[in-house]
Amino acid sequence: MSALVAGMDIGSTTAKCVLLEGKEIVGKSLSPVGVDIVKDAEVALELALRDARRERSEAAFIAGTGYGRYKVYFGQLTVTEISCHARGAHFLFPGTRLVLDIGGQDTKAIRVGSSGEVIDFAMNDKCAAGTGRFLEVCANALGFDIGEIGPLSLQARHPLKVTSTCTVFAESEVTSFVSRGKEPKDILAGLHASIVSRSLSLMQRVGIEPEVTFTGGVSRNEGMVLALRRRLGAPVNVSPLSQFMGALGAALAGQARCEGAAA
Amino acid sequence: MTGAAGAAPPREGDFLDSGRELQRRLVEEYYRGLAEAGGPQRPVAYMLVGGNLTEIVRSFGYEVVFPEIVALNCAIKHRSLENILHAEAMGYGLDVCGYVKNDLGLQDLGGSTPFGRIPRPDLLVCSFSGCYVYVKWWEALAESYGAPMFTYDVPYLREEVPYKEDIQYMVAQLWEFVHQLEKRTGRAFDMEELKRVLRETRRAEEGWARYLRAGRLRPSPIEAYFEAIFYMFPINVLRGTAQAADFYDVVNAEVERRVREGNLPLPEEKVRVLVEGVPPYTNYRTFWDFFRKWGAVSVVATYPKVGGLFDRGFLHDPARPFESIAEYSLGAYVNQSWTLRRKLIQEYLREYSVDAVVIHGIKSCRSFTAGQGDLRDWLIHDQGVPTLYIESDHQDPRYFAPAQIKNRMDAFFESLDQRRTTKAPATEVAA
Repeated sequence: MSALVAGMDIGSTTAKCVLLEGKEIVGKSLSPVGVDIVKDAEVALELALRDARRERSEAAFIAGTGYGRYKVYFGQLTVTEISCHARGAHFLFPGTRLVLDIGGQDTKAIRVGSSGEVIDFAMNDKCAAGTGRFLEVCANALGFDIGEIGPLSLQARHPLKVTSTCTVFAESEVTSFVSRGKEPKDILAGLHASIVSRSLSLMQRVGIEPEVTFTGGVSRNEGMVLALRRRLGAPVNVSPLSQFMGALGAALAGQARCEGAAA
Repeated sequence: MTGAAGAAPPREGDFLDSGRELQRRLVEEYYRGLAEAGGPQRPVAYMLVGGNLTEIVRSFGYEVVFPEIVALNCAIKHRSLENILHAEAMGYGLDVCGYVKNDLGLQDLGGSTPFGRIPRPDLLVCSFSGCYVYVKWWEALAESYGAPMFTYDVPYLREEVPYKEDIQYMVAQLWEFVHQLEKRTGRAFDMEELKRVLRETRRAEEGWARYLRAGRLRPSPIEAYFEAIFYMFPINVLRGTAQAADFYDVVNAEVERRVREGNLPLPEEKVRVLVEGVPPYTNYRTFWDFFRKWGAVSVVATYPKVGGLFDRGFLHDPARPFESIAEYSLGAYVNQSWTLRRKLIQEYLREYSVDAVVIHGIKSCRSFTAGQGDLRDWLIHDQGVPTLYIESDHQDPRYFAPAQIKNRMDAFFESLDQRRTTKAPATEVAA
């Protein structure tokens, strides 16, 4: 019988935990991250265990990833989210050769080999331009919840051109569009397109090759998925587990470590 | 919890011994000596590192100050930001070179550093004209101090063998420079003294080159980036003195001892790295830790060659003083085209059995950094060498984001580890 392995992705806005047994995901959790990251990591694990109806003592191995990975003190392994997203994407979509991960504070384009290994990667610079935070700030500026903006952007009839991907400047630009009476759905379409443009340049940096798998919290936004598909002119893999890809990858790395292979 | 890299490595300086100790002493003595320099008895010349004319000014009795080196010394001591902020308050913009702002801020604040006070210049020698910002920096200093300025116009090197017209043009400038120095100091030019200085220079260059070539050994007994940066001080600041030449004898004896005793930069050399680019001096040790954690040793680096590519065979020649100084200035790493820089890196990859390349770009200098993105692509796609490009700054700590840089470096070394074990086909690596 396979060991129960926990993969924990402690990101900038949410903590994700996946419990893996063999090739089966037996439990998972998604919870917010606040100022006490250690506690948030504990909570994420407890929630996933509850979801799987398992006890803490049953978890044979715990691997952490994400910016808060060093706060998973109770784990045995840390792996970067770049490797984890590659591994997770390859697990769900074995044909994956390029991963686009857009999270709360960064965007990554990852070239993946046939075994799920990272060949090359490119990331946004050290500001939150063109990330989930960017969308969140702009959604707030328009008075919407983050979950509403994707579907709304799909209704746009005259998408506007948002020139800035700087979160602060884009917020001002949104305010300016609103004051000029522009439709929120048209503004939102422009915002989504600007993120896709920025992501595309990162993807081109490492080389675009099918299949493309879209991961991270922003991949749950259907407006983003459509905008990306349109720009690429090709299908894009998106899983209902996209947001858990890092945690899944961490669990897979944990499994590999348990089996004596390189994490 | 441990990362995939395993246990924490030993402390950064554990393998360093007499060479590092002597280097520290030389730095202290140099800055102490500067405190009394300046004026007609011991005039001070400010000079730039690239293609510098140290030997000529030394033959006239000048003390040499390299503001770039003073600036990087301030940065490594975490004193650059206050100078930079002061320069910005003076009106220098965010995107002006960190060397320039660090130095101009320092000068305006009185020239006091953690290692002593920097004397005013009696002469400004703009020895590298490839960077227009540097020319403007020197002009600002000239205006501020009312000191005379000599601009040495060095043509850009596009082909391996320099044009003889370029050499003639530069030799003519060197004679003009010598005549100016004769007028300013009231001393006659002494060719024998210049040749004597050049003999010391050559001895130091030979020692420095021997040290750098030790990186070819496997495992490498030297850290060709992080350690070599300490040892650049004598070859750049004290070149032409017996102190500099003797220093490399001490260092090379230490390197031989390391090989004999197995006292190496890391207990296990897992990855042999070539590093390109100016280091983030403000977070130098943190950056080094990011390598050491993964068992990565820099066996060769391009940055320590900014003061001269002596490891490639060039040495000042006392028998041809002016011509060899001109050849030296032309061949400075910063003065070379990307074609030549790429060729050099390609040779290093082979000679030093390099596994991976890390490029560190700096926000401050577009002229040095522009092209590094293409270099990365060329290394990955044409040379099949895993390459990481990261960016921060050499002087301004505001551009160094530790978490982000660490994340990229961890991911890079992690992927090398993973690819070694999954044995990814070479075509994929080079795709």
